[in-house]
Amino acid sequence: MLPSTAEFRHNPVPHMAFRATTIAASLCRQLMVLSAVAILVFLILRLLPLDPGAMLIPPNGSVAEQEKIRQALGLDQPLPQQFLIWIQHLLHGDLGRSIQSGEAVTGLLQQAFPVTVQLVVLALLMGITAGSLSGILAFRYRFTLVRNALEVTNAFALSVPEFLWGLLLMLVFGIGFRVLPFFGQIAPQFTVEQHTGFLLIDTLINGDTGAFADVFAHYFLPALALALAIAPTLMRILYSSLNQIYASEFIRSARLRGLSERRLLLRHGLRNALLPALNLMSVQAGMLIGGTLLIEKIYGLQGIGYLMIDAINNQDLPVIQGIALLYGFCVLLINQTTEWLQRRLDPRARP
Amino acid sequence: MMQKTLRTLSHAGWRLVLGGAVWLLLMVLALTAPWLGLHEPNAQHLQYTLLPPAWMAGGRADFPLGTDILGQCILSRLVYGARVAAAVAILAPLGAALLGTTLGLLAGYLRGWTEKIIMTLVEVWMAFPSVVLAMLLMVALMPGFSNVILAIILVDWTRFCRVVRSEAIVWRSRDFIKAARLSGASHLSVMLHDLLPVIRPTLAVLISLEMATAIMAESILSFVGMSVGPDTPSWGAMIARSLDSVFSAPWQLVPPMAAIVVSIFAAMLLGTGLRFSRNEQTATGNEVLV
Repeated sequence: MLPSTAEFRHNPVPHMAFRATTIAASLCRQLMVLSAVAILVFLILRLLPLDPGAMLIPPNGSVAEQEKIRQALGLDQPLPQQFLIWIQHLLHGDLGRSIQSGEAVTGLLQQAFPVTVQLVVLALLMGITAGSLSGILAFRYRFTLVRNALEVTNAFALSVPEFLWGLLLMLVFGIGFRVLPFFGQIAPQFTVEQHTGFLLIDTLINGDTGAFADVFAHYFLPALALALAIAPTLMRILYSSLNQIYASEFIRSARLRGLSERRLLLRHGLRNALLPALNLMSVQAGMLIGGTLLIEKIYGLQGIGYLMIDAINNQDLPVIQGIALLYGFCVLLINQTTEWLQRRLDPRARP
Repeated sequence: MMQKTLRTLSHAGWRLVLGGAVWLLLMVLALTAPWLGLHEPNAQHLQYTLLPPAWMAGGRADFPLGTDILGQCILSRLVYGARVAAAVAILAPLGAALLGTTLGLLAGYLRGWTEKIIMTLVEVWMAFPSVVLAMLLMVALMPGFSNVILAIILVDWTRFCRVVRSEAIVWRSRDFIKAARLSGASHLSVMLHDLLPVIRPTLAVLISLEMATAIMAESILSFVGMSVGPDTPSWGAMIARSLDSVFSAPWQLVPPMAAIVVSIFAAMLLGTGLRFSRNEQTATGNEVLV
């Protein structure tokens, strides 16, 4: 993605200074991209054929009242000015107020964000476990029927969009067998003292294992649905990069040295297959975050995605803008983190 | 040569044949929908709401897959829904390919500032999860058939751009490109007549995979009611509607879900089949799963 490492390689700057410049350059770039994202969000929503001011004005308001509200919001000024006002507020941590509820957007985001983070983290853990286990399994038994069975499962799993997984799991385990809850994030009989906003952590801090189990059960199906959406791709990439690695010279020589197959796979194969998989995960992260939208809606989890769909249905501009920015920020953060991890893990990617 | 072709066919061929057959069927159904003797998809038979499929107790032969809560024939809506799916699956990938390939070729062939600008644009685009961007665009564009296609094109062109750019970078330093330049061909001519042909196999794979993505995107958008209008039957909207009465009539979820999964599966088979046969021809690829 970033051409920087390859370009800088021929640069004769000393090592340390060089590292500082790459990090600074990379940060600058991210900032640039983030501001471009902000402009894009602002512009897309200004294409809307509706007037953000009109919705704040009481239906029986006079023209003078309308003008007053417009002026207060800066809506009487040209678009670039409006954008500057918006950015200025943004830098002060003010994303405006929801048109629907009148609450501050930052407050709404603060409430909803932990739900989405818990969902995504759980889904990542489950997806990575399932994806890498099945990838390794398929590779370990690549000359047997196990591989074919996994291959067919994989192809099928890839063809099911995550919202269908969500519905299917809900139908089978929630409605069919009635073994798991499928709405909200906690049963109403529990009251949780809030510390961090993350219910999974708060219940643990309070030492309330019953509530913790309940929250976990509520998150299980939605997280599984998301995990099923990322696992097949991970399995695929792991399998094919293991294949590629096993065709190379150093595996043959390691085998000739008498290393056991297990050791070969764990120490030599997997270590090298980790990088493409990691690279993929950064691409998948955006997909995963996007997937939370429908999953949260289906499972009634009041996270960012739920808020977003509600805001879109109500054409609540400030909320949509705030969330879109947050999404952009998260994706960039994830990309940055994976890039950093990649540098740590792969000496070749290091400057 | 003959042997090689045969091996390619036996290895990758079944994917192409199966995927192609499913899509052919889908296209034929979509095109001939009005002449298949089905019920009018929007007609509400209110005396027959929530009928089960014909083979279950209480089903009627004239509603083979049953009816939904408004008494609309599920089979008929399914077939008419294929029209939306088929149109999206053809037009959106072509549009995305056109936009993405143009920008990707420019970036990869010209390099320099053009590339920097285009790739920054791609990066900005990819900072949004595609579902979010598609929904934002649909809010801005308003629901409607051509706007769904436009939104999917505007979201997914980046995939084409990235891949085409990196292919172009690989090919542009080859001798035949230099030769073309030396023989007096303009940059435009080199891009169109020398670079594009060598990229075509990759494009074919990308387009067929994008068919799957486009169907997925459309079904998501219509599931949340942000795709075509309510009068046009679409699979995602069918799922959303049947959720309201899922406890009393769970079977009505099955046909649209199956339609989505099968059509995506077929598009993926086409894509991997194409990739497989290409890899076999150039003998550069490693083994691909499925």
